Amino acid sequence: MKEFIKKISGVRWVSSLLFLIALFVITGIVNPTFFSYSNIIACFNNSCVFMLLAIGISFTIMTGEIDVSIGAVMGLTAAISGVIAQQNGSWLPMLGWAVLVGAVTGLVNGIGVAVLKVPSLIFTLGTCGVVRGIVYIYTGGRTIENFSGSFTRFGNSTVGNTGIGVFFLMMIVIVAVLAVLLNTRRGKYFLAVGDNIGGAVLVGIPATRVKFFAYILSGIFAGISGIVFASKYGQITIIAGNGYEMSAVAACVLGGISLSGGLGNVIGAAIGGVIMSSISRLLVFLGFSSDYDNTITGVMLIAIVVIDALTQQRAIENARRERLLARAAVSGQ
Amino acid sequence: MKNKMLKIVKSWEFVLLLILVLEFVVFGSINDKFLQPVRIFSNITNYISICIISLFVTMVMITGGIDIQASSIVGLTSITIGVLWNDFGFSIWAAVGAAILLAALCGALSGFFVAYCGVQPMVVTLGGSFLYSGLGLVISRMSAIPAYQGISGFPSKNEDGTFSSFRWLGNAKLFGDLKLPVQIVIYVILIILMYILLHKTKYGRSIFLVGVNPQAAEYSGINTKLVKMSTYMLTGIGAAIAGILLTSQLNSSKYDLGSTYTLSIITAVVLGGTLSTGGKGSIIGTALASLVICMLRFGLTLCFKMSSQNLDLPVGIMLLLVVSGRQLLRIVRHMDA
Repeated sequence: MKEFIKKISGVRWVSSLLFLIALFVITGIVNPTFFSYSNIIACFNNSCVFMLLAIGISFTIMTGEIDVSIGAVMGLTAAISGVIAQQNGSWLPMLGWAVLVGAVTGLVNGIGVAVLKVPSLIFTLGTCGVVRGIVYIYTGGRTIENFSGSFTRFGNSTVGNTGIGVFFLMMIVIVAVLAVLLNTRRGKYFLAVGDNIGGAVLVGIPATRVKFFAYILSGIFAGISGIVFASKYGQITIIAGNGYEMSAVAACVLGGISLSGGLGNVIGAAIGGVIMSSISRLLVFLGFSSDYDNTITGVMLIAIVVIDALTQQRAIENARRERLLARAAVSGQ
Repeated sequence: MKNKMLKIVKSWEFVLLLILVLEFVVFGSINDKFLQPVRIFSNITNYISICIISLFVTMVMITGGIDIQASSIVGLTSITIGVLWNDFGFSIWAAVGAAILLAALCGALSGFFVAYCGVQPMVVTLGGSFLYSGLGLVISRMSAIPAYQGISGFPSKNEDGTFSSFRWLGNAKLFGDLKLPVQIVIYVILIILMYILLHKTKYGRSIFLVGVNPQAAEYSGINTKLVKMSTYMLTGIGAAIAGILLTSQLNSSKYDLGSTYTLSIITAVVLGGTLSTGGKGSIIGTALASLVICMLRFGLTLCFKMSSQNLDLPVGIMLLLVVSGRQLLRIVRHMDA
């Protein structure tokens, strides 16, 4: 039992989960009306867009790179699925386009970052601009709205009487499947490449291919999040998804994924996504106006990463001291 | 002498200069309105915030960091000036001074976390961008004027119709018929100052050394942490200058001014030849690169009737082509050797 606790407290996403629970509990203590099933489940139901984005970008972050084009990709697929929904189209073409757009963008990013070795922030910044431009050309600068009712209804529908959203249920399945897959031999390649790319290459991991794959996954997830976005909000402006990439990165950081790569888990990314999307709702219950949204997100983000960095530094320092002491003991004998 | 010439021709700044000249030739021959100084000036003044901030972010990136919070400090400065002047009875210049101080503090805070706590710069400044834009919104609530409206009516015109006091900064034209806007004069002064600071002083050399090898810098007696922190603080001040000029020009103080600048700033710095991994970069390169982007945007809207909303596409393509091209060239050269 003791070992189990020790093992579980070492997992980074567990502390993120505890943080999420603490947020809920504090909100509930301040304002007891928050403690209802429907309120709490709503926090999860509304987090699907952020969760998808965060999970997608977590692959690139795990390999030690970053992908800031996901917000634009999301905007493009949201616009495409919006247009399909206007014509009463079905889900299949939407999904097809989302995967296609995401995969192509991911492919381009992969070529730039993994093959040409351009710094990832810069290259994905470029693709971000290009995809944004395509959004503008595709929509002609108009806002897409007036979808068929069935499309938006589905986005807000729940499973039976449980109140659990359809999208959220799918998210749980996706996260569970990914968590299992990432625990396999090949799944661990992402973290290996991010932790030490030279070492990974030496032990025979195809680092270039892994990075390629990470970018394609991140693109596809961003593409799918566009469908969810369109279905949830029912209106897509040409700047839809602007700045979402930064929120997704923030979600990953909150979920315990290290931006220098090699540390983290998709479960963490999903939990981070829930935290990011719940903050504004929690603030309302705490009696703050939503004006404080960004301030609190910023404070939280900085506080978490600073504390994390300091504890890690201390751990390294302690390990070094122990090593020195051990060496002194050996030489003293 | 010949070697020196060759070195200049081979340098990245020279390529940028060629691109800039090419833009003038191409756009100028298509539409001669492009060559009117008044149009060029007004176009640069519209892009001035990005031009100014990218100079400062160059220094941050040379130390191996990155600053994505500067654009949120622009709005924070703007709203601080407005609220202090309008609701707290500060004189306009006192409000400007306070805003600069606040911006420097914001920069220093993020810099402190990066330098002294060892957190990744990207994360800290990401948090900073949330925090400072949020702070701007909170400050705007202290005003009697609703946030979306923006505070306006800053002290402006003399009786003869010329701009004075605060609004002179953003609207006056200098040198008689040349009609050179004040912002551009300030920009040129900033370029010269930053050039001297980065390339001619001991402080500038230490910035490069911190970027190349922080450990070696530390051992050679440079206070690397202080140097790192100071670059973020300077960027805060740079963002404040941009915010002041923008507020003065628009005669409106809003918390969300400049919120979309982040990607443009990074694009300008990177296109200017600064390595995002640190250790290499130049002020002239950044200045030329921001002008290249600025003129590209201007030329495309003027000559090809492109919508100004859709300028991300050409700038994005240019960025991709430039960075991929440079990288390809490096790989090819590597193979030869």
